[in-house]
Parts: sequence; C-alpha cells; structure tokens
Amino acid sequence: MRYEEFKKLVVQAAEKAGLTDYELYYSASESTEIDTFRQEINKFSSSAEGGVCFRALVNGQMGYASTEDLSEEEAEAVVARARENAAVLESAEEQFLGEAGGEYEAFEKKDYPLPETDEMIRAALHGQELAYAADPRVTDGTSTVVMRMKETVAIFNSRGLDLSAENQAALCYIAAVVKDGEEMNDEYKLKAGPVCEWKQEELAEKAVKAALAKLGGRPAPTGSYPVVFAPDAMSALLMTFSPAFSAEAAQKGLSSLAGREGTKIASDCVTLVDDPFHKDSLMPMPFDAEGTPTHRKNVIENGTLTTLLHNLKTAKVAGVPSTGNASKSGYAGSVQISPFSFVLAPGEITEEELLAKAGNGVYIDTLNGTHAGADAISGDFSLQSLGFMIENGKKTYPVKDFTVAGNFFELLRHVEAVADNAEMESFGRTSFGSPSVLVSGLSIAGE
Amino acid sequence: MISRKLCERVLAAAASTGADYAELFAEKTFNRSVNMLDDRVQTVGDNVVAGAGIRVFKGLRSVAASTVDTSEQGLIRCALQAAQALGEGKAEISIVLKERRFGDIHPVKLVPGSESLARKAEILKSAYFAARKADDAIVQVDASLLDVDHNILVANSDGIYAEDRQIRTRLYVTAVADKGQGTQTGSAGPGARKGLEFFEEDVNPEDTGREAARQALVMAGAGYCPAGVMPVVIDNGFGGVIFHEACGHSLEASAVAYGISQFAGKLGQQIAGEKVSAVDDGTIPNAWGSINFDDEGTPSQRNVLIENGILKGYMIDKFGGRRMGMAPTGNARRQNYSFVTTSRMTNTFILAGEDENEDIISSVEYGLYAKDMGGGSVNPATGGFNFAVKEGYMIRNGKICEPVRGASLVGTGSEILMKIDMVGRNLRRAQGMCGSSSGSIPTDVGQPMIRVSSITVGGR
Repeated sequence: MRYEEFKKLVVQAAEKAGLTDYELYYSASESTEIDTFRQEINKFSSSAEGGVCFRALVNGQMGYASTEDLSEEEAEAVVARARENAAVLESAEEQFLGEAGGEYEAFEKKDYPLPETDEMIRAALHGQELAYAADPRVTDGTSTVVMRMKETVAIFNSRGLDLSAENQAALCYIAAVVKDGEEMNDEYKLKAGPVCEWKQEELAEKAVKAALAKLGGRPAPTGSYPVVFAPDAMSALLMTFSPAFSAEAAQKGLSSLAGREGTKIASDCVTLVDDPFHKDSLMPMPFDAEGTPTHRKNVIENGTLTTLLHNLKTAKVAGVPSTGNASKSGYAGSVQISPFSFVLAPGEITEEELLAKAGNGVYIDTLNGTHAGADAISGDFSLQSLGFMIENGKKTYPVKDFTVAGNFFELLRHVEAVADNAEMESFGRTSFGSPSVLVSGLSIAGE
Repeated sequence: MISRKLCERVLAAAASTGADYAELFAEKTFNRSVNMLDDRVQTVGDNVVAGAGIRVFKGLRSVAASTVDTSEQGLIRCALQAAQALGEGKAEISIVLKERRFGDIHPVKLVPGSESLARKAEILKSAYFAARKADDAIVQVDASLLDVDHNILVANSDGIYAEDRQIRTRLYVTAVADKGQGTQTGSAGPGARKGLEFFEEDVNPEDTGREAARQALVMAGAGYCPAGVMPVVIDNGFGGVIFHEACGHSLEASAVAYGISQFAGKLGQQIAGEKVSAVDDGTIPNAWGSINFDDEGTPSQRNVLIENGILKGYMIDKFGGRRMGMAPTGNARRQNYSFVTTSRMTNTFILAGEDENEDIISSVEYGLYAKDMGGGSVNPATGGFNFAVKEGYMIRNGKICEPVRGASLVGTGSEILMKIDMVGRNLRRAQGMCGSSSGSIPTDVGQPMIRVSSITVGGR
C-alpha cells in the first residue's frame, strides 16, 4: 500500500477512536551503492525502506507507535498501540503538535539528475583505475564506492499541517589502502554532487597522498602543546559535542551550557552557525520534524552563546520561539533536537599562517572513537588521534598512536585563531563543518 | 511468514540471470522500549520493522536488494531487480527448498510482547529509583527497558528454508553524579536472549540501578588520569571490549578476505601472548549475542579463534568465504533486511586463565587498573584502536589506589595482543551493541582480568 492510502486509513482509525490531536510522520528512502575490489565491481546493493510514526495526545500524554508495514490492519493497529502506550506515560511536560500557517523559506536547491546504474559502474571502475595508478604502494582493500539516494519526508496532522519534502544526492568516495613493507595505512576522500563534479582524478590522488603521508608515523612525544585541528578533526569534535547545544539536554541537567545564553563561552574568533540550507548539505530542509519552519542562525556569535537549539516543547519552557531544530532519527522514535548543518565560520588567515602561529605543536587531522572517548555532558575528551608534528611553524613527520585530551568547553575558550579553509562532512541529515583551528595547550599522550 | 513455494519462485527469479547462489531473508520485528528520565516514564517506543532482502552471487560478485513490499509481486520485483543488476545470462541453478528445523536452544518464558506495559514500567522504576536514591550527588538518571522480538526467515539455493524467533531483553541505566567538580556518568546494561524472566532469574533491576550510581559517584570524585605509557590491568566483563576491538574485528572475513587485516594469512602463527585463548561462541544458551543459525542459514557454532596465543580461525560469512576459500562459520549477521549481511561476531571472549587476581594487581608497581571500559573503535587496516576507560584507578606498589577520570587506551591490535602476559580466572561476559557495515547487532564481549604489560594511556 502507498503512503497516501495508508494516511487516509489512519485518519479514519484516529477519528473512530475519538482522537482529536494526532500526527502522522512518514519518511522513506531509496539508495543504490556500488562497491569495488581491485579492478572489479564486487558488491552492488539497492535498498528501499520507509515507515510511519503515528502519535496522538491521550489525556495529556503523547503516545507513539511506528511501523514499516503499511497494511490495512496495521493502520488500525498503530492507532491502538499509540493509545495503549500513552496510558503508562507520566510526563509532567506539556505536549505539542505543530501548527499550520508557518512561513517556509524558499531556498536554492541543488537539483541534478541522479546517475544511471551504468554510469555508476563506469565511475566506480574508473575511480579504482585512478587510485591504483596513483602510486605503486596502493594495495588490496582500496575501493571506490559510488552511491545515489533519494529521501522523502512528510508530516500530516490534525492541526492542518500537511508538508512534504524530497531530497536526492549522488556521491563518490575513494578509500585508498597503501602498504609499505609490513605497514599499512588508509585514508578516504568523498565528493557529493552530480557526477561531472566528482573530479575523480583529484579525489583518488588526494586519498592516496593522504594515506601515504601517514606511513612511518610514530607516537607523538607526551606533553602539552598548541594543537591545530584540521577541518575533519574539528568537525568530529563539533559532532561529538553538538548534543550540549540542545535545550532539552540543558533543561534536563545534561548540558554544561544550561543557562549560559547571552554569555561568553568561546573566544572572540568563534562563530558557530546552524544552517538548514547549507550549499553542501545532502539534506537541506525547509521544516523540522514538528513542521516548524527552519532558518539559518548563529548559535555562537563572536564567542557569545546566542541561543540553544529548541523544539516546540523546550521553547515553551524557555519562553522563546522554537528555533526549528526538532529532529527524529529515521521515522520511528520520539521528537528530539539536533542541528542541521553545524558549521564553524571561517577566519581570514591561511592554514600556513595558522601553522606558523602554532610554532611548535601537533597537527591533528583524524580523531577516532568519538563515541567512546568523549563525554558530551562534562565536555571531557581523550581521543585517539593521527596527524603530524608542527616544528618551527611547518608540518613535519607523521604521528600516530597518541591521544589528545582536554575539555571541549575549555577548548572553545582557548581557540586562538581560525583559518579560511572551511570543509564540510555530511552524516545523512546532519552535517558538520569547520576550517582548521589553533587551540592553545592540550594534553598529548604518546611516548 | 512466506511459504516455501513462494520462496522457491522468488529465488528462481533472483537466479534467472545466471547466479550461482540466491538467498531471501525476510523479517518482522517488534522493537519496544520504555524510558524514564526526571523521575517519570517519559516515552514508550514501539516500532514494527518488516521487509525482505534478496542476495545473489556469481563467483566473486554479490548483488543485494531490499524491499518493504513483501507481497508476492513485491518480492518478485525485488528478485528481478537483483537478477538484472547481476548481468545477462540464463538460469544455471535449480531451486529446491527443504524445511530445516534447527531447534531453539534459547527458551523464552515471558514473551515481552505479551506482558503488560505496566509490568515493564514496574521493572524500570525499581532500577531507576535505586539509582536516583543512591546518593544526593546523583543529579539525573536515564533508564530504559528494551525488548526485541525478531522473527526471521532464511531461504537459499543451498536448499535451506528456516525460521527463527529471536527474543531479547535489556535494561540500561545511566546515572549522572555531580560532587561539585563537573558531572560524571556511570552506567550498567545487562541483557539476554530471554524474556522478562531475565529479571526474575538473573538480574535484580535494583542492582543494575545501584551499579550505575556507584560508578557515577566514584568517577565524580576522581581527578584526571595522568597520561603516559604504563602497564594496565583490565578487569572482566565489558573489559573484553579490548579483545572485541583490537582483535575481533580484524578476524572477520570482511577484513581478512580483502587483505585489510593485520591477521590475514597468519593462521597457525602466534599473534597473542601464550596465555591467551579466545573463542566466538554463538551457541551459549540465552546469551545476548547467541543465534540458532545465522542470517544466511548456517547453524551457529563455537569457533576457536586463538589457542595459547596461536591464531586458529576466522569468523566467516558465505561471500567472504568464497574469496578466502573457506567454509562459513555461522557468523553472517545483519541488523535488518535493509542491510547487506556480512561476517560479524556473536559472543566473543578471552577464556579463563590460571593467574590469581591478587597476583595480577600486585605485579604492577605503577599503572592503571581499568575496572570497567566504555566503547571503542578500530581501523582493521592499521589495527589502530581506542577505548574509553569508564572506571579507572591508579595502581601504585601493587595496590589499587585513587580513582581517575578521562582515561583512554590506544594502540595497535597486533602489538597489544602480544603484550597480554597475565590472564586471570574470573571470566565474565557483558552485553553490547556492535556497529559495522551490516548495522548494529547484539554481541557479548568478555574476559577474565588480564594484564597488558604496556599500553599508551591517554589522559592529562
């Protein structure tokens, strides 16, 4: 059964059950992925998935039920289950559904035709040829992956909200594995957009070069150093600590930023922007998971925390309008809060100038295990890193098997300079981006 | 779920362009959760996952397609899509399915879907309030009771037609403590392939709550861990995540078959200290990571990975096994129908050794005692790994001293395994969710207390 048909049946079932406040959220996606090994296509996969989440107000509580089974019986069942589930809830908070009539920003969408399967296969094989040709040390495990995807989101509720949005994207990434004697290393580079913008030659060369650059790495000497975080590493930190910017976390005592709005939380050169329409976002969205219109805003402006991120519920508690940051991970689950594209604004100096400013320190371009070695509540982190030593203002030998430790909130206050080389990484609906930044005095543990 | 005859038609369509293997995986899964925060039941999650995935192989090529439409028409369409992507050709295999009954060695008494939400809320509350009331310094508690009823059907051109029902239950409590020097969290999350009887037979929910609170309180009073290279004693249970990350992932066919593993081509060679023996065992009754048969229809088995330091085996799925020229080991797993099955762990742990715990601790002059570990990750190609220490203490002159926060362990799998030089007797397993290319799946990690003679400790 299609969604439109299922929607009608759910509305009937909800009305029959006497529900007056309810909502149906739908998301569906289709993707095709081609993977390679040596000079062959070894995996092809296509997936189609999608489901709905029904929620309804029952005696002041919001009951949820979700399903991927869009059948006639299930239309009645989700309504029944949402009512049952509401019965055990004890929330003291006011519950909200989005209202109709919001003004949605028109934004420039990057529309391009998705590649056909044949074209994807050619591109995947071409990427492999380029990667292997880039250096004789390129070895097995090197792969070019080509993907295309489409996503639909729709919200319909009893308050007259009836929204839908579609996004589509294509991308190519090349993961280069290099081997020198017994030592192996890997690095990947990714480019999203129409095939003609992939510049595979450049992508392959960059991935191979980055993998080779790390060969012969040794542990960094233990100590306290100025650290330059490259765009990927700083983006990873922003992703890890983005939950601290959620007003829900703040209101529940799970964020160190609670009550800090309007105060200085970072050094002057830090401006952090949440942009739902960022040009490099894979999933630009004009409305959030509650149907509230989205907009671009500075979350930190020249070091001052201007706002936390809100949904309808937290906004009411705080007495402010929603910032349009209600989110859902997939169709199921309850409404939470997350940024769209969380981007640190670029500064005016080049990365070379930033390195010169650092003098002697450590350049970190890869942070691993952010899901384990970091505590978003306290801000403490201790993360396995890869990078290069900085000696006399220049990158020198590669370093590995060391950790960088500190506290994210202290780090924000110790950002000394921001470079002009912003890059962005997309993780589905949320993207994180940053230029290289120089931070004074972090603990490095190596040998 | 789907009749044998229909499966035959679907597989025949999938193999119609010359595949030498065709497989259908279908599921209907009920995921439920009850969550408490701020002293109240805040959310009830309730999600039905339903769909099918079809795979075909030809030599060393694999094609996978998935669909939410499990009607005959939907399945045939998905099968033809896979067939078409494989290329042009004529059918070369015939499909004859026979029903297999692998049996169920994981009996469930109280099926979570049949138990009332009120009963689940009661279990959750006893855990929640045990944590909340443990001490005034506990400022917040987040607790969830999760249950999964995962019904799967596997049919493939080797003739398998089999169904299984995997029921799992887990309680997860996170406590937040603040003693005026920043908040710290503690957590505990026992789970099993069981129904709600788990909370009558094995785990007292209050103990789980108290354990989460105890850990948060200890860490809230701890100073920062000093950084450096030192001997580390890692205790049992979730401490086994070190083996899971530093070795387990690199023994999966998905890494070994493509040469992106430091242990590829090393069967029969010494890869770990002599006291280290380790297994992957999906046949432990009612264990969190256990399966009757895997998602390709291969019966689960006990795989010896390392014996006295010598590499004995890998964890292999059908597709990886083709490139390796080795038989599958019952390790093919996927989160759900929309992920492509690959080689994964089940219950993977270091076996008990013969050292006494006291001797292990007293052998360390200056080092770290990691009583409990957090998560970690690994890059199979380089073997580089990292783990967070959730509850750590300094060891001085052979004695466990003050607690320390913010420690992490980093290194390379092949190096660290060789440095395990003491293995205790107190083997215990703990539950986790393991994420990889085929999604997030339940696995057990485990070990007795071990000593690593030297490892880089990140701190400040």
